[in-house]
Amino acid sequence: MARPSASGAFKAVDPRKPPAAARSNRAQDRSELFDEKFLKTLEHLHMVSRKVFAGNLRAERRTRKVGSGIEFADHRTYSRGDDFRYIDWNLYGRLDKLLLRLFEEEEDLSIYILVDCSDSMSIGTPLPKLHYAMQVGAALTYVGLANLDRVAIIPFAGKVIDRMPPARGKNRIFRVFEFLRQCQIGGQTDLAECMKTFVTQNKRRGLAVLISDFYDPEGFEQGLNTLRYNKFEPFVLQVYDKREAEPNLHGDLSLVDCETGETKDVTISRSLLEAYQREHESYCKELEAYCTKYAMPFFRTHTSIPFDELVLKIFRSGGFLR
Amino acid sequence: MSFLGPIPLALWAWIAGGAVLLAVSAYIIKMRRRRFEVPFARLWKRVLEQKDANALWKQLKRLMSLLLMIAILGIILFAALDPTLGAVSRKARSVVVLLDASASMKAMDGDEAGTKSRLQIAKERAKTLIDGMGGGDLALIMKVDGQATPMSRFSTDAPMLNKIVDGIQASDTPADLTRALGAAADALRDRPNPLIVVISDGAFPEQQLGLVSWDKAKPTQLAPSDPKSAAAWNAKNLAAIDLSNVDVRYLPVGRRSDNVGIIAFNVRRYIANKAAYEVYVELQNFGTEPAHRQLRLYNGASNVDSKRIDLAPGQRIHKVYEKLPASEDNKLRVSLQPVEGAGGSDAFPLDDEAYALLPVRKKQKVAMITQDNLFLEGALLVYDNVDPVKFTPAEYDAKPSIVDGMDVVIFDEHTPAVLPMPPASLLFFHPTGANSPFTIRGESPSPRITEIDEGHPVMRWVTMSDVYMDKSNVFAIDAKKGESTLAYSVRDSIVAAKRDGKRKILAFGFSLPSEGRDGATDLPMRVAFPMLLVNTLDWFAGDTTDLLTTYSTGQRQRVPLDGVVGATEAEVKGPDGVVTKTPVIEGLATFYGSRVGYYDLTAKDTLGKPMAQIELAANLSSTIESDIAPSTELTLGGKKLEAPEAFAVSRSQKLWIYLVLLAMALIVVEWVTYHRRITV
Repeated sequence: MARPSASGAFKAVDPRKPPAAARSNRAQDRSELFDEKFLKTLEHLHMVSRKVFAGNLRAERRTRKVGSGIEFADHRTYSRGDDFRYIDWNLYGRLDKLLLRLFEEEEDLSIYILVDCSDSMSIGTPLPKLHYAMQVGAALTYVGLANLDRVAIIPFAGKVIDRMPPARGKNRIFRVFEFLRQCQIGGQTDLAECMKTFVTQNKRRGLAVLISDFYDPEGFEQGLNTLRYNKFEPFVLQVYDKREAEPNLHGDLSLVDCETGETKDVTISRSLLEAYQREHESYCKELEAYCTKYAMPFFRTHTSIPFDELVLKIFRSGGFLR
Repeated sequence: MSFLGPIPLALWAWIAGGAVLLAVSAYIIKMRRRRFEVPFARLWKRVLEQKDANALWKQLKRLMSLLLMIAILGIILFAALDPTLGAVSRKARSVVVLLDASASMKAMDGDEAGTKSRLQIAKERAKTLIDGMGGGDLALIMKVDGQATPMSRFSTDAPMLNKIVDGIQASDTPADLTRALGAAADALRDRPNPLIVVISDGAFPEQQLGLVSWDKAKPTQLAPSDPKSAAAWNAKNLAAIDLSNVDVRYLPVGRRSDNVGIIAFNVRRYIANKAAYEVYVELQNFGTEPAHRQLRLYNGASNVDSKRIDLAPGQRIHKVYEKLPASEDNKLRVSLQPVEGAGGSDAFPLDDEAYALLPVRKKQKVAMITQDNLFLEGALLVYDNVDPVKFTPAEYDAKPSIVDGMDVVIFDEHTPAVLPMPPASLLFFHPTGANSPFTIRGESPSPRITEIDEGHPVMRWVTMSDVYMDKSNVFAIDAKKGESTLAYSVRDSIVAAKRDGKRKILAFGFSLPSEGRDGATDLPMRVAFPMLLVNTLDWFAGDTTDLLTTYSTGQRQRVPLDGVVGATEAEVKGPDGVVTKTPVIEGLATFYGSRVGYYDLTAKDTLGKPMAQIELAANLSSTIESDIAPSTELTLGGKKLEAPEAFAVSRSQKLWIYLVLLAMALIVVEWVTYHRRITV
């Protein structure tokens, strides 16, 4: 009885048999992704968001930026070069200190929907994670457009693949659909590089909704930090497939990384599966802890949860709609 | 420990080496794995790195798995050697049990009540012997009747040997001890501590008991000087069974000796009057007390004669039933039936019945197509078993159907265009032209008969060496068509015979004397002529006066098949309905009867088509077997055989079954640990 070898290094996948071929074909077919039913769901989400969050919805959004607004925000010590017009002379009279009056500046909110289109997102049952991410992205886009925010969509993988320029008004949603249907997909995830490119290309700060599985061999930290350091408000949405977290594998297998093509010969035992599940959970927790630590809204979802349910959950948590 | 397996050690070593090599190769050869795509192999890598921390243990487990597999293999191969724990004792023996299954073993005197046969008791003794064998003893069971049949190989498996013993049935033949001892001695050659145990009633001919040599190297006496005595001495000593170094023991069975048996039963036709027959019966009282029986003779189901017989101890009588009339049924049976009173019955019923067959005989209707040939008509008139009629050739040619229903049609100097319908057999004198039954290839002037086929029924008792013929047609004989020559003139066939479907055809190439041709031949003037005609008519009727239809069981006989040529095989259907096949060589079928009763023998050609069928009867007809008085002791080659002692051997234990169980347990362990991923 021959036994499988438990040892062995990673190796390249046979190029004659591209592993991602079949999977990509499934992910490529996005013709049925945004159908009539989907549109109705979006309209429903929009209505619900108005009802539930009435009073919070405005076409404007106050930024942290202090400037020429009318609503008082704070004081700060005067420093050389500040505009004399904003010195609070009343306080100077009382406290004998030069303090500057700060106002909240009001501006249009920019929402950037960053969708991970790497090969790892093409995996998933019954629908690929990419399709789920696109549906969630489209839903958030629709709500943003309807709230007269400026919404842009940036698909990425190893680099920023494409960019749909910021748009406003919900009648633009069909352009969004078309863009998501047509955009290129595939490649190896490189969050850090993509976020660097993104912040370079987009000077207007805003909400950066990052939808990904965060399966980046180089780690997710640098990408998220790039957003933070450049005054974007990262909104982290991790999508995974249940079969990824709890794989139903057995026997002797050659595991092939769908992005790198590396292979690993393993003999799946129950203890190995349990160890893998723990490892997957630990990785997700790691991401969550990182986001919590730096006050980045974080949502984790698997593809079995309907996307509208997730969107409502996002609404309820605040942060996206204010 | 000893190894009794049938595989030689060298071969075993090769097999073991190959098997281990295969097992190791199977571990070395890398398995072809299923490919499975994962989104993030880094997670798996991290898991495996943790697992690889105990890689040494994993390697060890894999090694353990390999070692486990080799251990299983080793155990199985070791079991194949049939290891036996506790070395085979030097006293362990190789035993051949000769179980007498001859006719006398059917005597119902195995126990006091007469409910068990001798064979049943012999089987019980054999089983007791087998059950008493030690672990190192090997036994072979051999059935002894007219043949010696090994029923098993040397084995220590007592239940299997007992089962074989249970399956042995007695036959109706005498025992051939010489053949059995020879086979047993051959089987025991080069085996340690050879032992033959004869379980029998001792009913063996004296001659067989003497054909044994206990010391082959030292003949009891030197060969005589005169050639005649020397030949006899050589025949005896060369035929003697070499039992040197073989221990032979005897276990007697049987109690009673009173028996009256039919030791001969035969029937024959009268040569002169074939419509009548006479029967010969010979009886003997083998007991030591006067015996009384009712002797009945049956022809088919009808009782021909019944008579009370009184026999003194040891008395042998014979009775002849003369001039019994022929009947439609040819089966004859003689039966000894018990009568009331002392000495009125015995324990051996097999020899109380005997069977015989009389070839069916009826008057033949013979048509002669001739122009008043007195020689022919005169010869036929002397034979009272024919009913002749005569037609002229013109009458026949005008209406061939006038001979319908005839058994034989004789054409004298006439070769018709239309032959009579079968099954009428045909006899031709001087056939001519294209209608001749045998192709005529020429004419021989003044031929002389130089050779005749004496084996053919037609030519039996016939001398034709000086027969004069002025001329004769010569036939071209085609053996493939079943044609044969009965008489040659040098190499020319002038008398020919053949079978044509159901009928037979005989042709003489020459003419009989007739008006205007007085000097054609002098054959009708000779004694041979009526004999030829009678033989021919008998052959046509399928009847030969010297055909024996009654044989003894246990003897191989060659039975003539009524001149049949071309048959290669015959089927023999016994009284028990069992059909066996027997070869036919030169028209003689080999017949061996193992049961008393009637047999059907059917000769077939190469295509399996029946060519001839004859009935035979087989009887015990053996005074040795009918003399059922058991021998409590047996003297073989001048040496009195002792009873077998108990087997004094050490108990030894067969290990193979435990080894196989262990291997199976290890396979289960291996299977479980593999599928639970313990050994991977």
